[in-house]
Amino acid sequence: MIIRGGIVYDPANGIFGEEMDLCIDGGRIVEDAKGEVIDARGLLVMPGGVDAHSHIAGKKMNTGRIMRPDDSRLGTEPRSGVCRPSTGYTVPNCYAMGYRYARMGYTTAFEAATPIIEARHTHEELEEIPILDKGALTLFGNNWEVMECVHDKDIAKLAAYVAWGLRAARGYGIKIVNPGGGEAWGFGSNVKGLYDPVPNFDVTPAEIIHALAEANEMLRLPHSIHLHFNNLGKPGNYTTALETLEALKDIKPSRMRQAVHVTHMQFSAYGGTSWRDFESKAPVIADYINRHNHATMDMGQLLFGAATTMTADAPLEYGNARLTHNKWSNHDIELEESSGVVPMVYSRKMLVNAVQWAIGLELALLTEDPWKVLMTTDSPNGSPFVNYPEVIALLMSKPKRDSEMATLHAELSKRTSLGGIERELDWSEIAIMTRAAPARILGLEDKGHLGFGADGDVSIYNLLPEEVDASKEHATVKKALATAKYTIKSGIVVCKDGKIIATPRGKTYWVDAAAAQADMDRLMVDLQEKFERYYSVQMSNYAVQDVYVTNPKVIKAGIGAEPLKEVA
Amino acid sequence: MRNIVITPLAPIRISVEAEILSPDIFAPLSMEQICGLDVWQGNRKKKISDLFRVVGDEGPAKPEETALRLEGDFSRVKRIAEGMTAGTVDVTGSVGMHAGNNMLGGKLSILGNADDWLGREMRGGSIIVEGNAGNYAGAGYRGERCGMRGGEIEIRGNAGAYLGEHLCGGNIRVAGDAGDFPGAANQGGTIFIGGSCHLPGAEMTKGTIIVNGKAKVLPGYQKLEIVTIGGEKYQKYAGDLVENGKGELFIQAGSS
Ligand SMILES: [Zn+2]
Repeated sequence: MIIRGGIVYDPANGIFGEEMDLCIDGGRIVEDAKGEVIDARGLLVMPGGVDAHSHIAGKKMNTGRIMRPDDSRLGTEPRSGVCRPSTGYTVPNCYAMGYRYARMGYTTAFEAATPIIEARHTHEELEEIPILDKGALTLFGNNWEVMECVHDKDIAKLAAYVAWGLRAARGYGIKIVNPGGGEAWGFGSNVKGLYDPVPNFDVTPAEIIHALAEANEMLRLPHSIHLHFNNLGKPGNYTTALETLEALKDIKPSRMRQAVHVTHMQFSAYGGTSWRDFESKAPVIADYINRHNHATMDMGQLLFGAATTMTADAPLEYGNARLTHNKWSNHDIELEESSGVVPMVYSRKMLVNAVQWAIGLELALLTEDPWKVLMTTDSPNGSPFVNYPEVIALLMSKPKRDSEMATLHAELSKRTSLGGIERELDWSEIAIMTRAAPARILGLEDKGHLGFGADGDVSIYNLLPEEVDASKEHATVKKALATAKYTIKSGIVVCKDGKIIATPRGKTYWVDAAAAQADMDRLMVDLQEKFERYYSVQMSNYAVQDVYVTNPKVIKAGIGAEPLKEVA
Repeated sequence: MRNIVITPLAPIRISVEAEILSPDIFAPLSMEQICGLDVWQGNRKKKISDLFRVVGDEGPAKPEETALRLEGDFSRVKRIAEGMTAGTVDVTGSVGMHAGNNMLGGKLSILGNADDWLGREMRGGSIIVEGNAGNYAGAGYRGERCGMRGGEIEIRGNAGAYLGEHLCGGNIRVAGDAGDFPGAANQGGTIFIGGSCHLPGAEMTKGTIIVNGKAKVLPGYQKLEIVTIGGEKYQKYAGDLVENGKGELFIQAGSS
């Protein structure tokens, strides 16, 4: 396949809007190819989109679907052509996940949070998501074995457990959600801060995070720890964010990447002492990120309208349920986690929601280096992923932001700095925040760029980047991004003019990390006891079998493994 | 007025999804176009003229000038008058589920009975049923937090269970009895029940329920004074206190 004459944005390879041809053969970008010619003259061409943090599969998503038959009605599309039926808006069915991402030019999405014991369910759903390459991060932050290793300061055994857990879950990396808080929630409480001990374990959230970061680097995992802060969603929590980042400054990354990825920073950049004097502290957070190089983040942008909040941060969801009087699902996951789901509507009329909306945008616009901040909505927590074009249009257009702000609470301009930010992102920066950076941050060397050997994932939009002024013509930008002219996945045209025309099966990434045998042996003694005494399943039935991951892409890591090739 | 009469060609045994039986859909179309409209019967797509005889005045017309008359038994025909904004629909027999769904205006009259979900989530207009209505009349569909928000439903016979569940506005009047849990989780609106019912207003936060017959009252209700409404004496209750509710419940004095 040859893609002719497109205006290509491939920031990882230093290409910022150059007219060039692209060739794909055998599912990869190559120097020269024959076959189908795609006319992309003058059109915006980027690598396929990569979403490093989205909730797309597993028990939380399914609980959301069960709780929200009302949501199911919002997105029904009948079977047509190669597409099976779609349902849902904030909690779509598996098929819709694949079709809707592909329609926007995305070809990769990572599920953000799976407890090991529920990983089989996650993979059953990932298997049913068409087109996309995907992976799932594994939850470790409230796990008994983890906390015991942390208490004993036994990082080698902790690394062995992480390696074993990733293999058992067929997981991609370490996710940490409100460390310690999920365990405390089992006793009806929460941890109040970084140095508040977890009941019965005599460890602090700070110790859990730091130890998991050390284990992460000991195992040379492709991704860093992926962290959902303590105190998330609470006024005044920006101090917890800064404290946590400071506490990780000494972690030495084992690869050319961040030491910590902070997810949905919007929910952790809050000032004020209550919802009454709630205000943005995004400028402080962005300033910290600008001055340090050990952390990256994603926006977790909130948009007005329907959302479904779902997180392993169960005490947070209890608060949401109390605040909104809405439906609430609460879940305790054996020795590993807790979780919750609450439907949500973010209202333009609510000052708090308006400030939250502004914070996400401030974070992205005030962070100077686009490689440090990813565009996400923490889908479906801030808004479902189908609304990414709205977020991008806001980032690219000051007039659009101004006209939105004019419809919001008069008090808003006193609570955020957004109104004074002139910056408008360009296509290179958007390509970084939605392609190149998520791939680099996750450690996916074949994704997010169009160099020779990269995966043949390309998105082509019906937009002439050299003629369209994204600042003024933001409606055109939003429309073009919502329906890709072409989405090409591994060299196959999967979407044409916004219509899905092919549904190839994607890969599932997981990380197979080796640990020292002596540490693994010591670990097994612990685990055997835990399975005998506490778990509802036997150890032999616990791990996800290969039959559940039929098209795996295994990344080798761990002690003694070959040093991983650096990403572009 | 543009009059159109629709009659089943044969008794309908397999359910038909007929959201197109609405003045809004018919009004702008010619008779030929109307006869060519699609309906689903079970899993088969059919033309309206495969199942019904459709005769009437030639169009186009405005919806408010359009009158549909459905003659015969439509009890296996669902979604009649869904989302209608104006005009009239008169049914001489009974109707299937979801009649008057999301109705915004106009008038739907049913001489026979209505099945479940009559007028669910309607926002305006009026529905009159001479016979009985099934369960969930004026309610919100599965998972919705708001049922009917406006308009009127009058049921001259009896209503089934969950009458006006999640009601947020509008009026429902039942001449006969209502089943279990009328007005569950209500947030507004008024329900009048001429006969008896069981456990009205569970989790009601706002709104009014008046019961002329007998009703078992939930323990979450606080007994207040006796009041007179339209010459009749009623025992007034406030609740549901389980939800810190501000709803008002009136039961015919001496009946419960
Ligand atoms: Zn998330």
